[in-house]
Amino acid sequence: MDSSQTKKRVVGVDVGMEITTYAVVDARGNILAQESFSTDAYPNVESYIAVLSDRIVTLVEANGGYESVRSVGVCCPSSNFLTGCIENSPNMPWKGVIPMAAMMRDRIGLAVALANNSQCIALGEQAFGVAHGMKDFVVITLGHGLGSCIFSNGKMHLGSKGFAGEIGHTCVVPGGRECSCGRQGCLEAYCSERGILRTARELMEERTEHSMMRQIEQLTPKIIFELCEMGDALAIETYRRTGEMLGRGLANYASILNPEAIVLTGGIPHAGHWLLDPVDKAFETHVFRNIKGQTKLLVSMLRDGERDVLGASVMAWMVKEYSLFL
Amino acid sequence: MEDETKSRVVGVDISKELTTYAIVDIRGNIIAENRFVTTDYPDINDFVTKLSESIVMLVEENGGLFSIRSIGVSSPSGNFLTGSVVNSPNLPWKGDIPLAAMLRDRMGLAVGVANDAHVAALGEHTYGSAHGMKDFIVVTLGSGLGSCFFSNGSEHRGFSGFAGEVGHTCVIDHGRRCGCGKEGCLEAYAAAQGIVKTAEELMAESDKPSLMRQVEHLTPRAIAELCQQGDEMAIEVYRRTGYILGIGLANYASIVNPQAIILAGGISHAGHWLTDPVRESFETHVFQNLRGKVKLLVSKLNDRERDVLGASALAWEIPEYSLFK
Repeated sequence: MDSSQTKKRVVGVDVGMEITTYAVVDARGNILAQESFSTDAYPNVESYIAVLSDRIVTLVEANGGYESVRSVGVCCPSSNFLTGCIENSPNMPWKGVIPMAAMMRDRIGLAVALANNSQCIALGEQAFGVAHGMKDFVVITLGHGLGSCIFSNGKMHLGSKGFAGEIGHTCVVPGGRECSCGRQGCLEAYCSERGILRTARELMEERTEHSMMRQIEQLTPKIIFELCEMGDALAIETYRRTGEMLGRGLANYASILNPEAIVLTGGIPHAGHWLLDPVDKAFETHVFRNIKGQTKLLVSMLRDGERDVLGASVMAWMVKEYSLFL
Repeated sequence: MEDETKSRVVGVDISKELTTYAIVDIRGNIIAENRFVTTDYPDINDFVTKLSESIVMLVEENGGLFSIRSIGVSSPSGNFLTGSVVNSPNLPWKGDIPLAAMLRDRMGLAVGVANDAHVAALGEHTYGSAHGMKDFIVVTLGSGLGSCFFSNGSEHRGFSGFAGEVGHTCVIDHGRRCGCGKEGCLEAYAAAQGIVKTAEELMAESDKPSLMRQVEHLTPRAIAELCQQGDEMAIEVYRRTGYILGIGLANYASIVNPQAIILAGGISHAGHWLTDPVRESFETHVFQNLRGKVKLLVSKLNDRERDVLGASALAWEIPEYSLFK
C-alpha cells in the first residue's frame, strides 16, 4: 500500500451564465485557491473548455501541484450527471448536447463529474451545510430559474434519465402564465426572478395605490425587497403572492416526498421574512396533515460565492479516479 | 448450514370491508387463501386476535408454522418505519395502532406493515409490470388515491414514512373540499367519490340527456359502463377526471423522472376512457425533457391478488424473528 499517494484535494468548477469560478478544495471543504473568468467571452464551447482546462492546470500547479488533485467536479445548468453532458441548455450560449465531462477529462487527464446546480448545491449542503446528517431532504434553488434536488435515504435521487427535480416546471395554475419552457402555469413562471417581476407589474396595473415600485425603471427582486423594508405595501404584497404560490408548490412536493427539511438557496431567499412568512403559512395550509408541522423550512447558511464551488468539489469525490499514467 | 430454510411467508391485506390472508411462496404462488369481514371487529384487540387465530389455522393446514418465515401486512395508513396504522380516516380503529408489534407478539413471527400503495408498488416490482425497473411510480386509484415511488431500486419512504401522498397535493387552488380537510386535493377529483362528484356537477351544469340521470347510485364503474354504451356525458366525466389526473401525474413525473407510472386499483379498469385523456394531459403538462419518455401503464395483476402478493413481498423485506431462537 502506498498511502503517500492518497490524494486529498479536488477541483470544483461552477459554470455560471456570466462568470466561471474554479477552486482547489480539500476534503474538509476548505477553499485553498480560487479564480474566475468571464463565461460569455467564449461562445464556442471548444475554446471555452480549452481555456478552462488550461486555467485549472495552472491554478493547480501553483497550489500543491497536479499530483495532489484527485478529480474535478463541474456544476453547470442543464447538466446531466448520468451522461456527463450539458443537454439543451436554454440559458447557456452552447446549444445541443455537449459531452462536457469527457471533453474536460481528455484535456486535463483527471476524472471529471458533471451535474446541474441543484444537484451540486444539494451535495454541498449535505456535506458542509444545513442538511448535514440528513437522509431525506430537498434543496431548492431560486434565482433565474427554479430547480431542486431530492435526497432519498441518503442518496441523490436522479431519476431514470437524470432529470429528476424539475419542480419549477410543475403546473400550479392550470392554464396560467406562459413559462419560458413553452408550457403554462409552471411554478417557475411565478417564483423565479422573472416571475416575481411579472407579479409586481401585474399588481401595479391592478391597483391604483401609490407605490415606490412605480418610480423605478429597472425593478429587480432585490429592489423590491428593499422597498419592503421601507414599508411599501405593494412591494410587500408582491412577495406575499410569490410566497403563497411557492408555499403551495413546496407543500405538494413535501406531500409526495415527506422530507426532513426543505433547504432554500439562491438569490431570492435573501428577501427573508417578506418571502418566508407567506411561504410557511401556505405550506402548512396545503401540506398533507400527517406531516404538518414536521417539515423544516431552512435557508442555506453557505455563502453565495462559495456554495456552488463547494458543491462541485463534493461531487468530484463521487467519481472514480482516472489517470492517463496508471 | 441450516436445513430449515423457510420458503413461505404470509401476506395479509386489510381493506375497508374485507381482510384477506394467504400463504405465498418465493415465486409468488398463492398456496392457500382465506378472508373475513374487517368491520365485524370494531375493537382492534379483537381484530388482531381473530387475524392471528385465522392465520395459525390456515398455516397449520398448509405446511405448519415452521415453514413460515414472516408476515407482511398491507393496510391503509400503514407506516413501514413504525409498523403502525396511523390516523386512518377509513378504518374503524382510531389513533396510532402498533399493529406490527401486536401481531408479532401473538404470532411469534416477524411482521412488516406498510400502506396499500407501498405494498402495491412492491408487488408490481416483484411480480408485476415494474419487474426489472429501478425508478417508477405506482398510483393506486380507488376510494382513495395513493402512490409509492422507487428511487434507484428501493422504495422512497421519506423522513417519517409518509411519502407518496400525491392524492393530497393541491391541483386546484381553493377547489373542492377533500376528506382530509384541505381544498383542491387531487384525490377530491380523481378518486371514486371525486368522479361521482364530477358526474353530478356535469348533470347539474346542463339538461342534456344522459343515461347517468337514470342511475340511482352512481359509481365509477357504472359510469365506465355507460361510456361503453356511448353516453357522451359519461365520457365527459372520465375526460375531466383524466385531464386533472394527467396534471397531477405530470407534476409527479417532473419531480421524480420515472421510467413508468403504473396505474392500479378499481378506477384504472375504466380503460381507455380514462387513460387516453390522462395521457394527453400528461404529455401537455410534463417537463419537456421527459415528454414521450415516461410509460403510462395499467397494472396487469389481478386486483384481489395484487395486495396479498405485495404483502408477501413485504414480508421478505424484514429480518426474521423468532421467540424460540
